Amino acid sequence: MTRHPSPTPPGIPRWLLARMADPDTRDAQMGDLQEEFEERADADPGAARRWYWKQAVGSLAPNLAHRARRTTRRGPKGDGTMSKVMQNLRFALRATHRHAAFSAVVIGTLALGIGANTTVFSAVYGLILNPFPFPEPDRIVGVGTAYPKLGRDLGFFENMSPHEYLDVKDNTRTLEDVVAWDMGNRQIAGDGPPQNVFTGFWWGDVLRTLGMRAHLGRGFSDEELARGDPVALISYRIWRDRFGADSTLVGSTLLINGNPHTLIGIIPDGVVMYGMDLWTIMPVQPDAYPRNRRQMQLIARIRDGVTLQEVNTELEGIAGRTQQAFGAEFDEYEGWSLQAVRWNEVASQTFRAGAFVIMGAVAFVLLLVCANTASLMLARAQGRRREMAVRTAMGAGRGSLVGQLLTESLVMAALGGAGGVALAYLGTAGLRQLMATLALPIAGAVEINGPVLLFTGVVAGVAGIIFGLVPAFQASRTGIAGVLQSETRGATAGVSRQRLQRIFVGVEVALAFVLLTGGGLLLNSFVRLNRVDPGFDHENLLSMRLTLPREEYQGDAVPAFFRDLTGRLDAVPGIRSAAAGTQFPPIGFSAAELFFEGGVPSEDATLPRALTTVVTRGYFETLGIPLRAGRTFDDTDDAGTVRVAVINEVAARRYYPDSDPVGKRLKLGGADADAPWHEIIGVVGATQNRGLDRPMEPEIFGLHDQLGGNQNQLFLLLRTEVDPAGLLPAVRQAVADMDADQPIYAIQTVEQAFASSISTRRATTLFLSVFGVFALILAAVGIYSVVSFTVSERTQEIGLRVALGADGGKVRALVVRQALLPVFIGAAVGAALSIPVGGVLQRQLFQISGKDPLTLGSVGLILVGVAALASLVPAWRASALDPVEALRKE
Amino acid sequence: MGKGDVLGEFEQVVLLAVARLEGDGYGVSIRKEIARRTGRDVTVGSVYTTLSRLEEKGLVLSEEGDPTPRRGGRARKHFRIRPEGASALEAARAMMDRMWDGVELKGVERA
Repeated sequence: MTRHPSPTPPGIPRWLLARMADPDTRDAQMGDLQEEFEERADADPGAARRWYWKQAVGSLAPNLAHRARRTTRRGPKGDGTMSKVMQNLRFALRATHRHAAFSAVVIGTLALGIGANTTVFSAVYGLILNPFPFPEPDRIVGVGTAYPKLGRDLGFFENMSPHEYLDVKDNTRTLEDVVAWDMGNRQIAGDGPPQNVFTGFWWGDVLRTLGMRAHLGRGFSDEELARGDPVALISYRIWRDRFGADSTLVGSTLLINGNPHTLIGIIPDGVVMYGMDLWTIMPVQPDAYPRNRRQMQLIARIRDGVTLQEVNTELEGIAGRTQQAFGAEFDEYEGWSLQAVRWNEVASQTFRAGAFVIMGAVAFVLLLVCANTASLMLARAQGRRREMAVRTAMGAGRGSLVGQLLTESLVMAALGGAGGVALAYLGTAGLRQLMATLALPIAGAVEINGPVLLFTGVVAGVAGIIFGLVPAFQASRTGIAGVLQSETRGATAGVSRQRLQRIFVGVEVALAFVLLTGGGLLLNSFVRLNRVDPGFDHENLLSMRLTLPREEYQGDAVPAFFRDLTGRLDAVPGIRSAAAGTQFPPIGFSAAELFFEGGVPSEDATLPRALTTVVTRGYFETLGIPLRAGRTFDDTDDAGTVRVAVINEVAARRYYPDSDPVGKRLKLGGADADAPWHEIIGVVGATQNRGLDRPMEPEIFGLHDQLGGNQNQLFLLLRTEVDPAGLLPAVRQAVADMDADQPIYAIQTVEQAFASSISTRRATTLFLSVFGVFALILAAVGIYSVVSFTVSERTQEIGLRVALGADGGKVRALVVRQALLPVFIGAAVGAALSIPVGGVLQRQLFQISGKDPLTLGSVGLILVGVAALASLVPAWRASALDPVEALRKE
Repeated sequence: MGKGDVLGEFEQVVLLAVARLEGDGYGVSIRKEIARRTGRDVTVGSVYTTLSRLEEKGLVLSEEGDPTPRRGGRARKHFRIRPEGASALEAARAMMDRMWDGVELKGVERA
């Protein structure tokens, strides 16, 4: 036989098998493989290598299984990390199973904590962080403006004129696909009754900005945009619900306010921005608009590789150039700014702050659960000292004990996490149902998805480490001698462990203090909010919207229609009176700058701004807004007579502090503005015209009959004698009698409108109160378990005291006093922490300070009271000890 | 007889191979014997883990041989069947025989 250089088997499988093989037979296996490999390599080296790979890899599974099986049966023999992990895991599962009641408490509270976090995070993720299915959400921005000169903070709506849009679009190098747009109501008709839909009017191909393609069809083409063609896209949900997801619909004709439009596409599923179900082109002739008529807003895409910072630096330059060029003509450009903000933030602006408060609170709850679990684990570790000592005696190192205890914590965290996900499924389902009934103008969906599960996994893992690490180190520190010592000297056992338990009680109390303070402050605010007098009788008042298409109703036909309609509604049984207005409290959105003749401020200061509301006769009487001076609109006022206005008390006090406004005049714009004068005929009471939580604003009312032509979109307001819901068929009939094609929509009672104006606050308050109560219960459980445990440990000592003549009261006092010490310290820390937290909350609060002493004091009292109660039960048990029994114990 | 005492199918195959080799059984020869008789190219890992299990049950005996250069200096591990192993094989066979007794499969339709 010729001698070949010895062939070597492939390295990777050899290395793998050497690592993983059962140590007992590792050499034999490796040798067998080598022997047969060499034999085969003589014939065909390539085939031999392939064979070796197959053998080695195929041997991994049986070897690992064998090692795992054997560690179960006779303890670890190997030195591999794998077997240690498997062993820890098995012990952990067994321990979890053995201490079933204990494990159930720990896993149950963890599941609640993790479930609450998962639910809240899924809402935050789905509604705030990622509400739209845009492929690159971070590249899509809204461009806001701030006009310090007009007293306007950064705003993103109705903040731009066509000229300003072109300033940005034509000069930017960091943004692409900059699109201006506006929103409004349109009616679509076709098969079925006419339907009012919220509509976006676009001056550009927004689908390109969003980085998306139409679900079916296409977006607006440049030619269509340039010509202002009558083309439209409808939302996926309308396509599905109204048109039965008919795929042949694209290309057909859609009547919008009676005008035929070609349907060119279906908006992708999930892209329902601000509830807009219809997109059409906004035809703009910039030259027809004054530079300061700001009716549109901007959305744009950041160019690839550009940062938001760079965009904003560039926008600063553009704003500066506009100021230079037009500052002399339009003084609001003085100090104005342009700022791009991520679209997701713009879209979730209103409830973002509240959501993050809830997120922070729920994180506190989880920390509390961790502290509670850690102290429970410490208590249990006491019962397992013998086990640990025996293991140490058998040669287990400290590292392996810590590893094992930590594995137990992680197993419980994993089970708690699984339970948490299950609870979160229920929680998100509940949230979805709640959102459906509230009909909030929110995009996005609350669901458990990949990112949410990842979050839960990380949370559970971190929680397991937090609550497992301290007890694990603590338990592993007790040496064999320590156990023996403490077994004989029971009373002084585990001093450092007791100290740790007290620290955990303190931490729990501090966390609960912060949560309860937050909940208390919000609850207090909410109660105050609900006590706010809206300034008129807001009960039994029904509101709905009606928009007359401009194509069919112009000039005097508009006020005539509403005058006729309110007259007909007055006659409907159950309706006491009917009126209409462009806005009503709390939905005040339309404001303008005005000049008050003979009022303050003087001419050269910034113009005052007031809500401007156009109403029909009978508006004040229907709403129950009291008259303070002069008169309201009556039959003597009409299109032919002098223009009249009614102002509210806030405006009267602010602009005519020293004189009688009745008889004075006002007009829109500045003193020199080319606008008609209005004579002030009366002053009415103030209302919460922008919501319960906002200050009453000056408001100016004009008469629809005198101003009607452009005011084609009004709210109908009905004062009813009976349940408003039952009146809807009669109202619809009255409208249909006049024009069968006009739908009424946005139907709600004024009470509901007030409720939804504070719905974010309500949600924040509800969540924080629930979390606060949960925190209180957890803290009570923690205190109770630690105190009972301490008492049971000190049975002998207490028995001795009783035997030596201490009476029950003294023993109880001793136990409670010792239990309350960490509670007091925790409460003090909690109070100190609550002050900065209250500062963070301040924006969510109403008429109450973030450091309200009454709230802080009550929370402290409640916590200490509950803590005293929680420690009283074990204290009572201690004082009832039979000294003979106690001393005989052990 | 506890359920752990019944030999599994692969245990029987390995144990029979050891018995057939009459003391010459070690990893390579056992694998080859199984391959020759059953056509199955089993992995060395599964053979050894099964042998370890049989040894724990007291059905086979193992013995270290001398290291040989051809195996990278590693010793062979030789296996012999013990009387308990022989009894276990016989018990397994007897159980199967009882199950087979009187079974007529010709009439069963097959796909």
